[in-house]
Amino acid sequence: MDVFQGLVQGFEVAFSMQGLLFVFIGVSTGTIIGMIPGLGPITAIAVMIPITYGMNPAIALLLMAGVYYGAAYGGAAASILLNAPGTSEATATTFDGYPLAKQGKAGKALAIAAIGSFVGGTISVIFLTLFAPLLANVAVSFGPPEYFALMLMGLMAIASLSEGSTIKALLSGVIGLMIATIGIDDQTGTPRFTFGTPHLMEGIDFIVIALGLFALAEVTSLILNRSAKLKDMKKIGSLKITKKEYKELAPTMGRQSVLGFLVGVLPGAGGTISSFLAYIFEKKISKNPEEFGKGSIKGVAAPETANNAANNGAFVPLLSLGIPGSGTTAVMLGALIVLGIQPGPLLMTDHTDVFWGVIASMYIGNVILLILNLPLIPYISRILLVPRPLLISLVIFFCIIGVYAVNFSTFHLYILLAFGIIGYVMRLIQFPAAPLLLAFILGSMMEQAFRQSLTISNGSLSIFVTSPVAAVLLFIAFLSLLVPIVKDFREKRKSTK
Amino acid sequence: MFNTTNKKVSIFLILLGIIYLILSFRLPKYAYVPVDSDLVPICLGVLLLILAGILYFTKDQEKKEDDERIPKKELPIVLGVIGLIVIYISLLEIIGFVLVSVLFLFFCSMFLGYKKYVINGIVSLVIPTFVYLLFDSFLQIQLPSGILPF
Repeated sequence: MDVFQGLVQGFEVAFSMQGLLFVFIGVSTGTIIGMIPGLGPITAIAVMIPITYGMNPAIALLLMAGVYYGAAYGGAAASILLNAPGTSEATATTFDGYPLAKQGKAGKALAIAAIGSFVGGTISVIFLTLFAPLLANVAVSFGPPEYFALMLMGLMAIASLSEGSTIKALLSGVIGLMIATIGIDDQTGTPRFTFGTPHLMEGIDFIVIALGLFALAEVTSLILNRSAKLKDMKKIGSLKITKKEYKELAPTMGRQSVLGFLVGVLPGAGGTISSFLAYIFEKKISKNPEEFGKGSIKGVAAPETANNAANNGAFVPLLSLGIPGSGTTAVMLGALIVLGIQPGPLLMTDHTDVFWGVIASMYIGNVILLILNLPLIPYISRILLVPRPLLISLVIFFCIIGVYAVNFSTFHLYILLAFGIIGYVMRLIQFPAAPLLLAFILGSMMEQAFRQSLTISNGSLSIFVTSPVAAVLLFIAFLSLLVPIVKDFREKRKSTK
Repeated sequence: MFNTTNKKVSIFLILLGIIYLILSFRLPKYAYVPVDSDLVPICLGVLLLILAGILYFTKDQEKKEDDERIPKKELPIVLGVIGLIVIYISLLEIIGFVLVSVLFLFFCSMFLGYKKYVINGIVSLVIPTFVYLLFDSFLQIQLPSGILPF
């Protein structure tokens, strides 16, 4: 089936009454969740998973796509209105978004963010449509050694690109892999690290870890800041963007859509890095760089366009290789698996409707986001007024439902609580949580690929070097580990001089 | 030996690695399996020990601006919320989802200082009931009904 036919099929699903309804629900819930500080796309998707049980996968995907875009936009809204970026991806948006809001131009900033997200999202989805099938064709020839090398590379990239100390990111990744070994071994049936309890036989579900490390851990900071007053929100201003401003913004949005997509395709980079890169890039080439940081409209458009484009770029490895490149796509992978869909090269041949359904739903999600959010800007800003104590209780409540509906046992709820505490401690000692979650999700796949490779080669590690693809990928993984070490070394030499 | 955060964390991780390794070596072995289930855990355990060793000799990072450490006077509140969650979890299957959720939402919000009891009551009643109905009739997922007859 060619690209065009597939897309038409996908749109048929998306344009049904039910399809449109669920995208609509998804976008609005996503926006609300995304605006709540600390709750970004990761949590929004995780919270939605139990709701999609038993739904038609194509429709569930539409809901997810809506939630995904909505949450990303919601995060931008919180950055602009409150200077409180819900997620790291929305951080760069605060640099100019919040100054604009303080000048009483919040409406304009929100409108630019919505349009930027739309442009970035749409252009990158077109790239995704073109490139994902190509990559999937290559991936069909991959065997266990190549897969193992690829996943290792993705993991290394995350560790070396994440903020802060590389060694901590690597440790976090190893612990994630260790947690993935809990439960019955898929190849020999040996129960590992279950401590004799039947509750651990099937291992720990990813949702327990995702909600614990991210949502519950955030609750602590919400509790500490529960009395923070919300001010500066009286005036929203006009949403109108003049023709002159459009002319000014068009090249920025065009450039950042392409750059953002390219950054997103790389495993480990994703929204955060692309939005910062976009901001720095636009500031560097701008004629008046001094405007940046004081309420430049380009300063809002650049990161918002780039991070949406990057988020779509991250879908290329997810859909074509079955390998998530970022924390958000990792959760998305979990969500797809819950729906009974295994992303990977075979997705395109075995489940054409689902594959193109995902892509079509991304087009639709983008459009709905724009239609829905522009007129609602004056209203959505009020949702931020939900009293914190109520918000905290509700977040805890939704985390508990999310986990209980997967396992139906209170045992896993205690584990959820434990991961919440671990997540908080990890923040205190500045251990990044994303590598842990990603490693956990990739863990069992990596172990299978590793052991299958060794079984094929009769126990010889040379199989990872004799396959040229695997060798190259492993070499890149090794290089990405060297980058931060070299950087550290250079900085040290600079400081001693 | 324990004077920096990195050193403390490193020692903890080394202990964790040792325990994990001991458990890995005690995994049963099979005669005719070329790659047994203990291989990967052993590799991971060793890797953890090496990395934790490196961490021991790494200097601490500078503190972030927004220190998230819990101030002393907030500690009872955080512990209180954890306590409420534990009570919630332990009563969930006994008293039932709706009742225990309503009570949790109401008391947790009140405990955190929310004083508008009427709004709190309405939200606490409506949301769990709505979620229960959504799961029960729409998604066909049975949440524990507990002592309520429906």
